[in-house]
Amino acid sequence: MEPITRRAALGAALAVPAAAALAGVARAAAPTEIELFFPVSVQGMLANKMRELVDRFNAAHADIKATAVYTGSYDDTNLKTRAAIKAGKPPAAVIMSANFVREYVINDEVDMFDPLIEKAGKTPDAFMDEFWPALKPNAVIGRRVYGIPFQNSTPLLYYNVAAFTEAGLDPDHPPASWADWIAAAKKLAAKMEGGQTQRWGLMFPGTYDYCGWIVSGLTMSNGGQYFNHDYGGEVYYNAPSTLGALTLVDALVNRTKVFPPGVSDANACTSAFFAGHTGMMVLSTGSLSFVRENMKTPYRVAFMPSNLRNAAPIGGASLILPKGNTPERQAAAWTLIGWLTSPEIAGEWSRFTGYFAPRKAAYDLPEMKDYLQQHPDAKVALDQLQYAVPWFDTYNTVAVRKAMEDQVQAILSGKTTPADAVQTAQKNADELLRPYVEQTALKPPA
Amino acid sequence: MRRKWHLVGVAAASAAALVWMVPFAWMALATLRPGVPADIASLTPAGPFRLRNFAEAWHSGNFPLWYLNTLIVCGGILAVQLVTVTAAGYAFARLTFPGRDMLFALFLLQLLLVPPLLIVPNLQTVVSLHLYDRLLGIMAPYFASAFGTFLMRQTFRTIPRDYEEAAMLEGATVPVLIRHVLVPLARPGLAAFAIVSVTAHWNEFLWPLMAVSSPSSQVLTVGLASFASGAEAGSAWGIVAAGTFLVAGPLLLLFLIFQRRFVASFIFSGIK
Repeated sequence: MEPITRRAALGAALAVPAAAALAGVARAAAPTEIELFFPVSVQGMLANKMRELVDRFNAAHADIKATAVYTGSYDDTNLKTRAAIKAGKPPAAVIMSANFVREYVINDEVDMFDPLIEKAGKTPDAFMDEFWPALKPNAVIGRRVYGIPFQNSTPLLYYNVAAFTEAGLDPDHPPASWADWIAAAKKLAAKMEGGQTQRWGLMFPGTYDYCGWIVSGLTMSNGGQYFNHDYGGEVYYNAPSTLGALTLVDALVNRTKVFPPGVSDANACTSAFFAGHTGMMVLSTGSLSFVRENMKTPYRVAFMPSNLRNAAPIGGASLILPKGNTPERQAAAWTLIGWLTSPEIAGEWSRFTGYFAPRKAAYDLPEMKDYLQQHPDAKVALDQLQYAVPWFDTYNTVAVRKAMEDQVQAILSGKTTPADAVQTAQKNADELLRPYVEQTALKPPA
Repeated sequence: MRRKWHLVGVAAASAAALVWMVPFAWMALATLRPGVPADIASLTPAGPFRLRNFAEAWHSGNFPLWYLNTLIVCGGILAVQLVTVTAAGYAFARLTFPGRDMLFALFLLQLLLVPPLLIVPNLQTVVSLHLYDRLLGIMAPYFASAFGTFLMRQTFRTIPRDYEEAAMLEGATVPVLIRHVLVPLARPGLAAFAIVSVTAHWNEFLWPLMAVSSPSSQVLTVGLASFASGAEAGSAWGIVAAGTFLVAGPLLLLFLIFQRRFVASFIFSGIK
């Protein structure tokens, strides 16, 4: 007879209590395990907050075991999601930068929400009407729902009250037009003896992603579209409205010199703003909580100044369902998404981060009403939503976006003129879009 | 005259060292400054100074687990690499077989590939080996190293063949020869490679982010980014600096302790 090995003995010893334990929970099936990829794009202990939310979700849903997986920046999250889908390990749900959703649809890598919404007894149209209308173009693509908005933002004008008073400006009437904006920036800019700038008039980030976002906003407040909101193969980089926006940037940096030359990132902007080294800055509403906690002197926020119309581009992220998951995992992901975007949780996340809650009903809750009363800056961000315009999304979004951003950065560094910049950006973008355009708009009917 | 030039050399080196030190000095200062002070860029701030950034950074994540995972990953990669690069280096330095130089050139070609290019293929391999979401999955693609093979081949070629021939006469087999004759002589080369390997994998971010999802398999760099990165807003510099200090600290400490030996092995192996 074979001698009893140590492993066999150990197995037998463990088997008895394990079997007893199993019998106890035999009625409850093993929970469906899902994972949620999430980026952290704003400062703060957001990763811990997200894990806390998912823990609460798990406690309330015995049949699901969700894991919140931190996946870096918006771009890293995009990369990891792509790689995971290609490697056959798609996550059940992802909080994806809202302007990447269209590309996932073009590449056929996500499932639509329509059947799930219908199963829950709503029409997709009625369901999407529960969200702010400006969020639709980045979430509903080809009349199908591919993204559920989770955290959203618009750019906002932040200004230093003391600097305004000191420069002879009225803090109750922040600049509303481009002309007033440049005039205010000129008054705010202060030089030390010897010509070194002590305080800039205005700053905004010129780094990738932020740069394109703000320039698209300037173009839209200049009456333009910037890109075709309905078709991913066209951008309007050399349109007069875009040229006008770049001319404004050029005037701020190179002509009036009220804006620091070169490319500043968001950290440089907030640090300068906190230190009183800039009178105004343009930054996301998603930064509201961070600014509120760290700004020592009074500040206020205002709408983005307009030239021909008020406009502010949407930013933020939506929840998506990567293709290749089992129906069970997808159903569990849908439960999680429904919970995360419920008015209560969406409102809580909004108060914690500064993002606005995409679901309108979140603002009917008493705690949200209190919050807006206490924080008038959050109210301004919400009010600006009526002027919100869609976020830049095309085929090959990042590369096409960079075609313009590279030119804007060249203007910031004084290396090109607006007229040359728009031509080069358009040429490079057309080149990048051509494969898609040839497969779609230019494809001759068979 | 020579003494004068010596002084000039020391002065130039000190100046370069000073420039190199600025970011570290700033980071060390920033760790001690609470909140977001207005003069955060200053190298001579007035204060106040507090230690609470470290506490906040430490509690922002599971640092003990991240340290452990990073140690396992770096140690595991290095242990396997030392065996593979020694064997491969020996083969390319001493053995003669058809297509040897061609194969070596192909090996070196790998150095020209940008790592992000290999993310998807590597991930597919890792998934098919059932290593996805495991520490072994982070390590696997690095078990062979083109750079290490190259370095060891060069190191072995500098060792006179006389030692090997003497050992052969005594009846040593190839494994015994490598283990007891060549490896002891090639130790500085191996040490130089170990430094490069550990530093690279300690600091690596993208691949661990791709290969692992469970919080229990997180490494230091990914963990740090989870509370230090912010695209849409500014940073709480003090906490970020404290977190960076916690991540970079062990490597810096190791370098200070073994400074002399590191420098000696770099000079020996010709890496500058």
